[in-house]
Amino acid sequence: MKRFLVAAGALVLAMSGAAHAASAVNLDAEPRTLIVTEGGSKTELSLAAGETVEFCSSGCFVTLPNGDREALTGDETVEISGGAARIK
Amino acid sequence: MLFSAVRRIAATLFIFTAVLVANAAAQDADLGKAPAGVVSDQQEVIASITARTDALQKKMEQSAEDDAGLVDIRLQLEQLSRDLLQSGVAFRPRLAEINARLEQLGKPPAEGQPPEPAVVTSEREKLNAEKTEINAVLGVAENLSIRIDRLISQITEIRRSLFQNLLTKRYQINFALGSEVADAFKTEMNDLYRTVSSWVRFVVSFKLKSMLAATFFALGAAAVIIIGGRRMFGRMFEPDGRVEEPSYLSRLSVAFWSTFMQSAALVVFLGVTYYLFAYFEVLRGDIGAMLWSLFYVIAIVFFVSRLGMAVLSPKLPKWRLIPVESGAARWLMLLITATALFTGLDYFLSSVYQVLGSPVALTVGEALTSTVVIGVLVILIGLVKPFVDEEGRPKPWPRLFRYIVLTLGGVTIAAALLGYIGLARFVSQQIVITGTILATMYIGFLSSQAINEEDAFIKTTVGRRIKRMFTLDDATLDQLGLVTSMVINLLVLTVGVPLILFTWGFQPGDMITWLYRIGSGFQIGSFTFSPAGLLSGVMVFAIGYFLTRWFQGWLDGSVMARSKVDAGVRNSIRLAVGYAGVAIAGLIAVSAAGIDLSNLALVAGALSLGIGFGLQNVVSNFVSGLILLAERPFKVGDWIVAGAVSGTVKKISVRATEIETFQRQSVILPNSDLINSAVGNWTHRNKLGRVEVPIGVAYGSDAKRVHQILLDIARGHPLVLKNPEPFVLFSAFADSSMNFEIRVFLADIGNSAFVQNDLRFAILEAFEREHIDIPFPQRSIRVVGDKQATPWPADDEQAEAEYAAMEQERLKKSGEETAKPKSRRRKPDPS
Repeated sequence: MKRFLVAAGALVLAMSGAAHAASAVNLDAEPRTLIVTEGGSKTELSLAAGETVEFCSSGCFVTLPNGDREALTGDETVEISGGAARIK
Repeated sequence: MLFSAVRRIAATLFIFTAVLVANAAAQDADLGKAPAGVVSDQQEVIASITARTDALQKKMEQSAEDDAGLVDIRLQLEQLSRDLLQSGVAFRPRLAEINARLEQLGKPPAEGQPPEPAVVTSEREKLNAEKTEINAVLGVAENLSIRIDRLISQITEIRRSLFQNLLTKRYQINFALGSEVADAFKTEMNDLYRTVSSWVRFVVSFKLKSMLAATFFALGAAAVIIIGGRRMFGRMFEPDGRVEEPSYLSRLSVAFWSTFMQSAALVVFLGVTYYLFAYFEVLRGDIGAMLWSLFYVIAIVFFVSRLGMAVLSPKLPKWRLIPVESGAARWLMLLITATALFTGLDYFLSSVYQVLGSPVALTVGEALTSTVVIGVLVILIGLVKPFVDEEGRPKPWPRLFRYIVLTLGGVTIAAALLGYIGLARFVSQQIVITGTILATMYIGFLSSQAINEEDAFIKTTVGRRIKRMFTLDDATLDQLGLVTSMVINLLVLTVGVPLILFTWGFQPGDMITWLYRIGSGFQIGSFTFSPAGLLSGVMVFAIGYFLTRWFQGWLDGSVMARSKVDAGVRNSIRLAVGYAGVAIAGLIAVSAAGIDLSNLALVAGALSLGIGFGLQNVVSNFVSGLILLAERPFKVGDWIVAGAVSGTVKKISVRATEIETFQRQSVILPNSDLINSAVGNWTHRNKLGRVEVPIGVAYGSDAKRVHQILLDIARGHPLVLKNPEPFVLFSAFADSSMNFEIRVFLADIGNSAFVQNDLRFAILEAFEREHIDIPFPQRSIRVVGDKQATPWPADDEQAEAEYAAMEQERLKKSGEETAKPKSRRRKPDPS
């Protein structure tokens, strides 16, 4: 019973603290760069081939390798293939 | 009734579908003009956000001194940032459409390829143009978001420097100005009196009814809380003077509820009054601010005094939460209330001066006096000797606490006197507020400790209620008490610490961001340590564990109970499923926690050699256990003989098997022994077994008769099987007896003792009846030969003389025949 309650408590905490950040997956064979604007500054985020990176936990604007811009709120997955991106 | 319900449902469905259709139609219409729609809509939105940002920036520059105003502006800017993001997200569906369509159209033909139809080219150009437009708008939005974020960080900077200035600004205290300050004070008080009286006149003439109504409602709300609380919680409210030794928990609950209820009632009264006054427009601007700070001060002072009353309980010593002496308790009560009072007064007066626009010298003078007074009061609190040592002499506070309190008081006074008024005021306010919060947290911890004590939870009302509702036993309730105390500790921390940080000026938004950042993970060296990941790993494991247990139970109870599988197999499957489930849950949990095990692989490789040697036996036992589970040479309940141990198998677990001997001793055999050496199982396939009863009969008995008797006895026993037949073996001609052996087979070898007893008694009876002897060990002695023997001569010399005489006579007879004279012959050698 105690263990059940501890588990329930951990569940609540984990839910509240669950790191929900947007993630980007590079499905190409070469590295790609995203330009992320978050918190008042632009940073470059490079993804090696096949790498998955989490970024942007609280909303940001992102410039994709082919020049497209997107606004992300932090729950999406960006798949980059052939320079173009698909947002899920 | 049914018909009307059906009609209602049908109507609702109809309306629902109508709305959906209309919506869809509208959306279709929208999609038709979407391209222009989205871009221009969002452009408008972005333009409005830009305008608002400009306005806020201007406001920011104007109120560079107003901390509260800056906080407000910052909140609005954060909201704008969120709106901007939303507007950016609005483009996403359109962009996705464009990209999909472009993909469909394919790439433009390369050099030298046949040209594509003009329609395709024109569409592609149109789409690309639109995409460029969208990108441009998003670029504008991006820049705007950068600007907003910069403004927000500017505000943080400004606030930080304001705070720093507040603490480090030094006023020149000119004590010669004392009389001037006193005069200014008198003037301001007159001013205040005039303002308040004019307001009262205004209210009485125009707004009397509204004000009375507002006060009435406020009183009503407060009364509801007090009466309702008393009704619901009753005894928990007031300390009962008659109770001799109230438990710590009841003291705590009384303290908590009385403080909470009364403060809540007062806060509600004041809040409703203020709100209703504002609603009915009874308040003028300046009166409103002053009234607000007055209410705030009243609430804080009341709360602090209630808290002190509850904790120290000067009148009822038994209900005290801290064991202070009564005299000291009264003193402390007085001092604490006075401190809170003066701090509140300082705050109220400062807001009054702000509203009335009083001269700086007055504010400085007032702040100086009040902070010095507060500092003195704090020092007095530190100097109180509240406890009593073994000999009855007053003992001061614990050293650390005393030094902290004295230092704080000293710092306040020193800062005030040196001119650092801002610092002094900040410290004095924080003493009261943080002190109150810390005291409340401390009481929270004490209460969790009190619940943690054994059996304490069971005796509380809540505990009893839970016990009745869920019918739990005491041990579970005790564990529940443990959990409750942990929960209370956690609650106290999560409420208290952010509250303290908040009063120190940190914004809730900042704290939440920190929390998220810590929660999602931080780097130590090359390890990413993520509390959220760990927690999720633990949670996943817990879920997996309970799932496995449930699955096990379901499999055992529902599936296997119905099938004809026997108990041992069921047990084996249940255990195997359990182990598999826990292993899978563990693996998933480790990966969910994000723990990267590849770093450990190298270390694990080196360790595994040593561990492998050490764990040889354990692993051998474990594998043997698995083999036992699979092969099942014996099952639970069998009677086995392993080496020298004979007993019934009670439990087969993964490392060892538990056997209970017939002396009811539990012997725990490692599984490897059971696999590596011979194990006899009396009840492996069936319970059939043979019993032998050896018996010896005396020589001289009729062997055939004995054989027949024994066979009859064997056949006559009801438990003896007829197939295989009972057999009586004439086994040996032993030294003392003729040995027979009865061999019978029993259906259940467990009955062997009974059957042996019965057979032996029957044999005894039969032998007595037939006069057959069961002999002791025997020896026969036989004497051989019966002639009388010649006795030995008694006198040797006489015998020799007689012998010589005999010899002479013989020689004389033989001498007559020979003429020669004989010399005397020598006696022959004796040997």
